[in-house]
Amino acid sequence: MNWLKSIYRVWRRESLLVFTDIGVLLFFVALPLGYPIIYTLIYNPEVVKDISTVVVDNSRTAESRELVRTLDATQGIKIVGYAANMGEAKTAMHEKKCYGVVEIPHDYAKKIGRGEPTVMSFYSDMSLLLRYRQFLFSLTDVRMAETAKITAERLSRGGILTTVVSGLPVNSESFFLGDPTQGFASFVMPGIVVLILQQSMLLGITMIAGTAADRRRRNRGRDPYEYEGGAVATVLGKTLCYMMIYLPISYYILEFIPHMFSLPHVGSFLDYMPMIFVMLLATSFLGQTLQVFVRERESSLLVIVFTSVVFLFLSGLTWPRYAFNKFWLLVSDLIPATFGVESFIRMNGNDSTLSDLSQYYWGLWGLTALYFVTAVVLRYFTAKATSSRHLSAASRADTDISAS
Amino acid sequence: MLDSLKRGIIQLASRKIYITMMLIVPIAFSLFFIDLMNEGLPLNVPVGMVDMDHSSMSRRIARSLNAMELIDITDDVESYHKAMDKVRSGELYGFFYIPSDFQEKALSGKTPTLTFYSNMSIFVPGSLSYKGFKTIAVTTAGKIVETTLVSAGADYSTAGAMIQSFNQDIHPLGNPWTNYSIYLCQSFIPAMIALLVMLITSFSICQEIKNDTAPEWLATAKGSMAVALAGKLLPQTFIFSAVGVFIQSILFGYLHFPLNNHPLHMVFAMILLVMSSQAFAVLVTELLPNARLSMSIVSLTGILSFSIAGFSFPVDKMYGGVAIFSYILPIRNYFLIYIDQALNGIPIYYSRVYYIVMLVMLLLPVVGLKRLKKHCLNPVYVK
Repeated sequence: MNWLKSIYRVWRRESLLVFTDIGVLLFFVALPLGYPIIYTLIYNPEVVKDISTVVVDNSRTAESRELVRTLDATQGIKIVGYAANMGEAKTAMHEKKCYGVVEIPHDYAKKIGRGEPTVMSFYSDMSLLLRYRQFLFSLTDVRMAETAKITAERLSRGGILTTVVSGLPVNSESFFLGDPTQGFASFVMPGIVVLILQQSMLLGITMIAGTAADRRRRNRGRDPYEYEGGAVATVLGKTLCYMMIYLPISYYILEFIPHMFSLPHVGSFLDYMPMIFVMLLATSFLGQTLQVFVRERESSLLVIVFTSVVFLFLSGLTWPRYAFNKFWLLVSDLIPATFGVESFIRMNGNDSTLSDLSQYYWGLWGLTALYFVTAVVLRYFTAKATSSRHLSAASRADTDISAS
Repeated sequence: MLDSLKRGIIQLASRKIYITMMLIVPIAFSLFFIDLMNEGLPLNVPVGMVDMDHSSMSRRIARSLNAMELIDITDDVESYHKAMDKVRSGELYGFFYIPSDFQEKALSGKTPTLTFYSNMSIFVPGSLSYKGFKTIAVTTAGKIVETTLVSAGADYSTAGAMIQSFNQDIHPLGNPWTNYSIYLCQSFIPAMIALLVMLITSFSICQEIKNDTAPEWLATAKGSMAVALAGKLLPQTFIFSAVGVFIQSILFGYLHFPLNNHPLHMVFAMILLVMSSQAFAVLVTELLPNARLSMSIVSLTGILSFSIAGFSFPVDKMYGGVAIFSYILPIRNYFLIYIDQALNGIPIYYSRVYYIVMLVMLLLPVVGLKRLKKHCLNPVYVK
């Protein structure tokens, strides 16, 4: 009973500290509310369309002009002009007037007429892979369409063969799952928002610890605001406070943000809220473990901010986890957001259920247990260290008094 | 000036956090990045194969799929639903579906349909699996036409010309391997350096204010804010530039990432990146001489710059109101110089604007020198 009471007291004290500290509130509330909106606004144009492209048409025939029209009609390519030769096209590229160059050979029309294979060249700027990918997809579509068209023409001229083959004998149909429009915001946002939950919580928790350390420095090793409960009660009481703030915020981030920007959102919150609940629990304990490394208010920013990029990559969003080596796989398994991102993007995009992703769910419980133990152990020892330092200071003071 | 410099160096040596954030973190981060993506592309995407036909033709398709380096058939799944379940659980990133009676229909001209599914929830493996599937679907169609034509009496070259009537020769300039690591390392690592530079700049200035040592600091420069700042920041400039150039030497020298122009163009750009990031952070700190606020602002800028600087999504396709912010970021200019000078190796004339923008940024701190000085003399530490 007493133990429950001290959890309650720790929770009350922590809530008071959080809600009177504008810096912590900035991380706990303003950051998760605002960041997802800013991020989505950056990526909201979703698909890279109509990338400027220049044509070097050495053939100058009706056939080549038709090819240029077909290219221009694709989603990715926009023909912005003709260049007289490759040199001119290159200059246009250097001046960033275009990111792709189409070169049509002088014998293009002739070869089509003669029934020989033709070839067009495409030069793609490689500064951004998204542009190249878009070019490639558009060019593939054009190749398929042109091949089918030219082949059909040739076959129809071939007389007897028409009866055997008409067009391509096999159709193919492709489906994009999860992010059917292949939009960039739709892909990146579900992962980023989960990471924002973890990182903002870590920033807030470590800032609280830094502030407490600042107070201890000013008060000869003692934090006047700290409620001295047992290690377990303290860790649990604080966690209760963080969860109280983060559960509504995660609902906002995971449910409202996708709706607000019409991002893919098919999962049920009955699946992803339990998952995120465990992730937040693990994150809260991880934050309380990292507290020992933060000795002043501002250094929380120094040590946590840059890890966002590291954790983003460890989550496998950009570089998939199957391509990690054993070592990085292990490291990424230790980050709650890794499992959180992996599972939320699948629930959100592929309608995966909690049972489909049970390995991540149990993984998160494992991390929760691990970081709970580390947080409690570290708290136990730091509390002991500060209290003994305090005691010895106090006894020194006593001897001083008696000596005088 | 010498006194200020000395004070700047002593400050850096006084606490472990400086060395950690200036030497260990940037170098460790670069090694992490390089090692994580040393394959260049995440090839062998785990995909599934649903073969409902079980014919010689469907087995041939499976073999050609498996022979591709892009994908790796890790699973022969018995039905569409089973395959979909495996996509949902994250085991597979896509699957290829061959309907029943595929061979029979294909040979009798009834045009069966091959379908393939790529999970775009994770962009890169999704795209790679799509590319692999599409290639096989197209070549399968071609092979069947060729077989039919040949069996109808055409010779191989005629048949070949008919199905390969239109070809494309695609040249990815500067990165013919479409190496993903080249492209990510060269943008994310410098952006990380810029972020750390800004954080440390703001942190080290605010420490003086927080610890009430700012008047002492000003005294080392005989009251000149500019000299005091220079003394504090030049040692940092030196260390960060050295670290930056060292990392460049790993990327360009050891890993042979494309460097198609004189190396000094990039070295100069790196030093400018460090200095203009410092200038940017000094300006923020002058306007908000408070550790938490100024560091929050530079963190926000630094983290958002990974997105707004347009490393993945092109700036010219962003909303105008968002895109405009990219040009005030030092890292955006460094990135554009990298593309011109290292990746494409074009004359430096075309990058002149980016160098000039970074040089002009060095003047930014002048704006708030007075304000900062006032604050240093009457420090108010706000939590």
